[in-house]
Amino acid sequence: MTQENIPGAAPSLARLVQELNRLPGIGPKSAQRLAYYIIRLPDEDAYALADAVTSVKQSIVFCEECQNLTDASPCPVCADPRRDRTTICVVEDPLDVLAMERTRTYRGLYHVLHGVISPMNGVGPDQLKIKELFNRLERPELAEMVVATNPTLEGEATAMYIRRHQGREGLRVTHLARGLPVGGSLEYTDETTLTRAFQGRQEI
Amino acid sequence: MAPPRTYRCEAIILGYTPLGEADLLVTMYTRDQGKVRAVGKGARRSSSKLVGHLEPLTVVKMSLAHGRNMDVISQAEVTQSFAELKEDLTAITKGQYLAELVDGFGAEANPNPGLFQLMIDCLRVIEATKGRESESASDMPLRFFEFHLLQVSGLMPELYNCVECRQELEPDAHRFSPNVGGTLCLDCSPDDAHLRPLSLRALKVLRLLDRSGIVEACKLPVDAGLADELKSLLSNTVAYWLGKEIRSNSFLERLHKESQPEVYI
Repeated sequence: MTQENIPGAAPSLARLVQELNRLPGIGPKSAQRLAYYIIRLPDEDAYALADAVTSVKQSIVFCEECQNLTDASPCPVCADPRRDRTTICVVEDPLDVLAMERTRTYRGLYHVLHGVISPMNGVGPDQLKIKELFNRLERPELAEMVVATNPTLEGEATAMYIRRHQGREGLRVTHLARGLPVGGSLEYTDETTLTRAFQGRQEI
Repeated sequence: MAPPRTYRCEAIILGYTPLGEADLLVTMYTRDQGKVRAVGKGARRSSSKLVGHLEPLTVVKMSLAHGRNMDVISQAEVTQSFAELKEDLTAITKGQYLAELVDGFGAEANPNPGLFQLMIDCLRVIEATKGRESESASDMPLRFFEFHLLQVSGLMPELYNCVECRQELEPDAHRFSPNVGGTLCLDCSPDDAHLRPLSLRALKVLRLLDRSGIVEACKLPVDAGLADELKSLLSNTVAYWLGKEIRSNSFLERLHKESQPEVYI
């Protein structure tokens, strides 16, 4: 969207609409609605929003250990002495760390890849944090790597690449169980998921 | 009478991108409608009935509803999952290479059942030959696909007569250019940046690809030199007609290099 697309709009307002329109999932109409909402906000709320955007860009860095986004490196998880340092859980995205932490089940370390291998989109291993992962695998205390990429075609392909190329002998490499989601339905489950769920059946 | 709001089709899923909070924008190639882009509402939620039915390189029977901007997937059921293909990284990447080409050559509202069937046939052979990447013959499904992709798209290269002088080609080395439409005899030399040498062995394999089915073509013993020549020729010809680089090619080449034993001099 350009300023010419909003006849009668002030240049500063048109610029805000233009910037909001660049965000994922925000179309021209949504950008205009958000811009007018921001204008109607009390001054302190609008400045707090602007300050949050500025400070996140100034302070967020990659954790030198797990490559997660943090404002202090190493991140709180990597710096926590109570975490189990024998296990590392490899995830695609920083949001996946939040999802895992919500379970309160896993107490080991993480490694964030920041994407998956996607040849059709020109994303290969060099565009991800895979080299950093392989460097971490050299640590002698590490006993298990849980590859928790999404069970999609690209997530599985990335997991296979990591398993094939990790050079640490004796390391236990696992992935999360595949099966039925809570609240799911057998009738609508695809055959691959159902097969894996059956293979992983447990005594009750 | 108004056209029906819904329709059913058989499709190969080529890929998808996230859309909004939990939707997917799915690109598929259908037997009867050509390339279709449709929305899978809520398909990223683990409890969605569409989960697992919209994964790339899967053949799916589905119902769609015509939308104002884009069609919406109402039901989907996997009919061929190619589960064994998806257990091998190289086989997956080969499948993604096919998907990228079908996405590039396929057109919306322009059905090409030959292209639909070609992709399924090639995925079946890739699945059956997975894990044999050290054999040069295992790449023949890709060469067969590229050749017949050109054929079903109306871009079949001339292999029997010189495209310039129309003389029947002698059993000898020749030259080839996608720009002029195929093979040239040595007497004809147009000013063409895409002109490249074509060995007699490669010409014979191209003619065999023209005449034979995929299973027969993939049994052909091809040495490494000939395999490289065929790959370069067909892959470049397909990229020429596509008008852009085939992105999955570089990762596929990387996997092939890594699977070959290192040679120390």
